[in-house]
Amino acid sequence: MPYPSYARRTDQDVAALYAYFMHGVTPVQTDPVPNPSLRWLVTFWRKLFAPNPDKVAFDPNRCADATVARGAYLVQGAGHCGSCHTPRALTMQAKALDESGPAFLSGGVDLEGWIAINLRGNEAGGMGLWSAQDIVDSLKTGRNPHAAVVGPPMSLVTAHSMQYLSDEDLHAIAAYVKTLPASAGDQVGFAPSDATAKLLQAGVNDSHGAELYVDNCAGCHRSDAQGYSRVFPTLAGNPTVLSADPHSLVHLILAGSAMPVTQAMPSPLGMPGFAWRLSDEEVAQLATYVRTEWGNTAPPVGAETARKIRAQLSPAEQAAIAQAAHQTTRQP
Amino acid sequence: MTDTPIASTRRNFLKLSISAAPAMVVGTHQAAAADAAAAYVPVYFTALEWAFLRAAAAQLIPADDLGPGAVEAGVSEFIDKQMATPWAEGRLWYMQGPFAPDAPATMGWQSKLVPREVYRLGIQDANGWTQQTYGALFADLSPDQQIEALQKIESGEASFAQVPAKTFFSILLANVREGFFSDPRHGGNRNLVGCTLIGFPGARADFMDWVDRDVSYPLPPVSIDGKRG
Repeated sequence: MPYPSYARRTDQDVAALYAYFMHGVTPVQTDPVPNPSLRWLVTFWRKLFAPNPDKVAFDPNRCADATVARGAYLVQGAGHCGSCHTPRALTMQAKALDESGPAFLSGGVDLEGWIAINLRGNEAGGMGLWSAQDIVDSLKTGRNPHAAVVGPPMSLVTAHSMQYLSDEDLHAIAAYVKTLPASAGDQVGFAPSDATAKLLQAGVNDSHGAELYVDNCAGCHRSDAQGYSRVFPTLAGNPTVLSADPHSLVHLILAGSAMPVTQAMPSPLGMPGFAWRLSDEEVAQLATYVRTEWGNTAPPVGAETARKIRAQLSPAEQAAIAQAAHQTTRQP
Repeated sequence: MTDTPIASTRRNFLKLSISAAPAMVVGTHQAAAADAAAAYVPVYFTALEWAFLRAAAAQLIPADDLGPGAVEAGVSEFIDKQMATPWAEGRLWYMQGPFAPDAPATMGWQSKLVPREVYRLGIQDANGWTQQTYGALFADLSPDQQIEALQKIESGEASFAQVPAKTFFSILLANVREGFFSDPRHGGNRNLVGCTLIGFPGARADFMDWVDRDVSYPLPPVSIDGKRG
C-alpha cells in the first residue's frame, strides 16, 4: 500500500473511496490465506519514513495553474507514480514525494526486472522530447507516435488504470510532468544523426553489433531506427533504450514485451524475445549498438549484465523462450 | 642455434596463415561441413542406400566453380531427417484407393507407396538396374555413367520393378532441391550455401531499404537461427 503517496489525497477523495468500498463493492465469502504477519515491521518503517498526512496535505497554490495542480495531485497522490519512478534510499523510502526533491520521478526502480524510466525533462533518458500529447497517448493507449509502454509493470498500470482516466485528467498529468526540469548528472544523451542510417542503407555493417541489428531488429525498427508510428517504436532518442541502467533494454531483447490492450488501441502488438538465438555476448553488443547509434549516447552494456538478466528471467519467460527455441527445430 | 629451424618454420607458418586468412575462413567452413557429414549416421537409410543418396545428390547439384554442391550442403542428412516426418509416411495425403497413375498431377499422390517406401524400393531398383546395365552399383559408377543413369531414370527409360522410375526421380530431385535451399535448421543448406548461390537474403524479413534502388543487395544471407552465411 503506497500510503506515503496516498497521504496527499484530500479528505473528500478518501471519504469517496471509503463510501465506494463499503457500498459500491459487493462482499464475497472468502477465507484469507493465513501467513505470518510482518505488519509490526512496517509499523516501525512507517513511523520512520511515512509522512504525516496533515503535514503533506496537497496544496494546489504551489502550482502554476489549476491544470498543473490537478496533475500534481494525481501524480503524487492516487497515481503514486513515484512509487516506481522515483529512486529509493537503502531503507526503501522514496527519495522524494513531490517536485521539491530533485530525485522525484527521475526513474530507476527495478520492478520484476524492468526499470521505471525517468519522467523528468531530460531530453535523452526522460520526457524532454515528448509533447504533452505523447504522454497522454502513452497513458491512454499504451503507445504514442514514437514510443510504446515496455514491460508488464507499466502495461498493467496502463491497461487496468490509466486508460480509464478522463482526457482532462490525462492532460493535467502530462502538463504537470512537463513542468519537471531535467535531473542533473545525466550519463546519456541524444543528438539526432543520420550517419548510422546512411551506413546501414549502403549495406555497410561495420561491427558485429550492426550485423545483429540488421539481422534481428531492422525488419521492424528499420535502418533509421524510426520504426513505424504506433506499431514499432523509434529507438533513436527512446528513453527505454537510453536509460542509464540498461536493465529494461536487455530484458526486452531477451524476453520481448507486448503493448497493453486498451480500449483506444486494442492490439497487443509485441516484440518477440531473442534469448533463444542470441548469446549473452551478442545481446550485449546489440544493446550497446542501439545505445550508441543514430545519435544515441549511453554507457555500453557488458555480456555480464546480459548473463545476469538472463538468469533472472521468470519461469514463464523461460518457458516462452524454450518454446521459441523448440519451434526452430520442431518437425511438422 | 638449434631453435632456428623451428622459429623459422613458425614464422613461415604465421606468414602463411596471415596471407591465407581470408581463404581460411572459407576453408574452415568447408572442413567443418565435411567433418559433420562424415560424422553423421543416417537414421533411416542403410549404408548402401546412403551411398546411393550421396552419389545421386552430388550429381544433381554438383560442387563446382559456383560453390559447394548438395553433399557439402548436407542434403543427404536433410533427406534422412525428412524420412522421419509425417510427409514421408504419407500421413499428409489421402492414401486409400483407387490409385490412378495416369491421373493429372492436380489429382494428387497416386501410389500406394509412401515416400519412405519410394526411396527404399527405388534405390533397390536403381542399383539393380545399374548392376544389370553397367555391372556396378550406382555409387561405384563413373561420374559420366552416373549422369547417364540419372537421365534414364528421369525419363523412365530405366526399368524399375517396384516403383516407377519417374516417380522415384521426381521425389529425389524435389527433396534434393528442398535440402539445398531450405533453412539450415532442417539439416541442409549448410552455411547457407544454397542461399548464397542464388543470392537469396534469407530470413531478414524486410527489404524496404532496397526497393526502387538500382543496386544489388550486398548483405550475405541469414538463417532463421540468426547465423550469417
